[in-house]
Amino acid sequence: MTQVTITIEDIPATTQGQIAKIIKFQGQLDESNVDEKAKIIYGVIEQNPQNLYLLMDFEDLEYMNSKSIGYLTDWYGKITEGKGRIVIAKARSNILDILQVVGLTQLINCYNTLDEAKFALLRQDNQG
Amino acid sequence: MDNNIQSLETKPVKISISLPTNAYFMSGIRNFTLGLIRNMTEFSEQWAFRFQSIVDELCNNAIEHGSEPGKDITITFISYPRDSIEIYVQDTGTGKNKMKAADLTKLINERRDPNYVHNGIRGRGLSKIVAEWTDELDFKDDSSGGIEVRIKKYLNDPKLKEMTQYLESPTHLVLN
Repeated sequence: MTQVTITIEDIPATTQGQIAKIIKFQGQLDESNVDEKAKIIYGVIEQNPQNLYLLMDFEDLEYMNSKSIGYLTDWYGKITEGKGRIVIAKARSNILDILQVVGLTQLINCYNTLDEAKFALLRQDNQG
Repeated sequence: MDNNIQSLETKPVKISISLPTNAYFMSGIRNFTLGLIRNMTEFSEQWAFRFQSIVDELCNNAIEHGSEPGKDITITFISYPRDSIEIYVQDTGTGKNKMKAADLTKLINERRDPNYVHNGIRGRGLSKIVAEWTDELDFKDDSSGGIEVRIKKYLNDPKLKEMTQYLESPTHLVLN
């Protein structure tokens, strides 16, 4: 199985009821591991179905296949349905490229830095 | 000696790899693809990563639909110097979700429609990644009952520069 590590940290919330987390991916998401690893994120969503704000830190994500993009799209749908938000930070150029070609950057905003991503994640407006 | 070098620079180079139908091996094939495109073609670094995804998606499709566990899939790279690269992925047609070439072509064409909405986890690999990043994509039933998928990408594709440029501008929203 290809190696990928997912670590989750809380981000101090700026408004009451908001649950915010950084999810850091290290390694490669591919056919051999994505179904198993996706369960971790679904677990977070199931525990926090409303007002969940996720920052996906892709700095050390080296590869993602189409199925992992499918999962990301599904997480986006579930989180926005629960009035939460999801953003991506520090994605490598090959990751951004593949997110763009499938059209996911039209749904999920990608930021160069963690600070920009945190600001966008927790800002109090209705933009994704 | 000079003639040999000249021949290598102009003659197509063909490399074939067979691997068992197990996603475990795909990480190695992705690394191989990255090295091959970097070292044996004139495609850019961005395209090396794109071909890595193309090969991964084609092989995953062959593993899922074409070859049962214990059988092989075969990947063939043909580099035409200063012209193009062609990649073939062949399965054995023994997979439990086996499809015919015509059915696969129809499915991909449906999913390539701009109005098609991808709702599931799967289904983006061939239609949104492989089809978008190649100039030719076709499926053929082979004599052994499997499918041979062929892709080709030309170096002189007029869209190549345009497709390569957009990442030079930040795609991120820059906040002041």
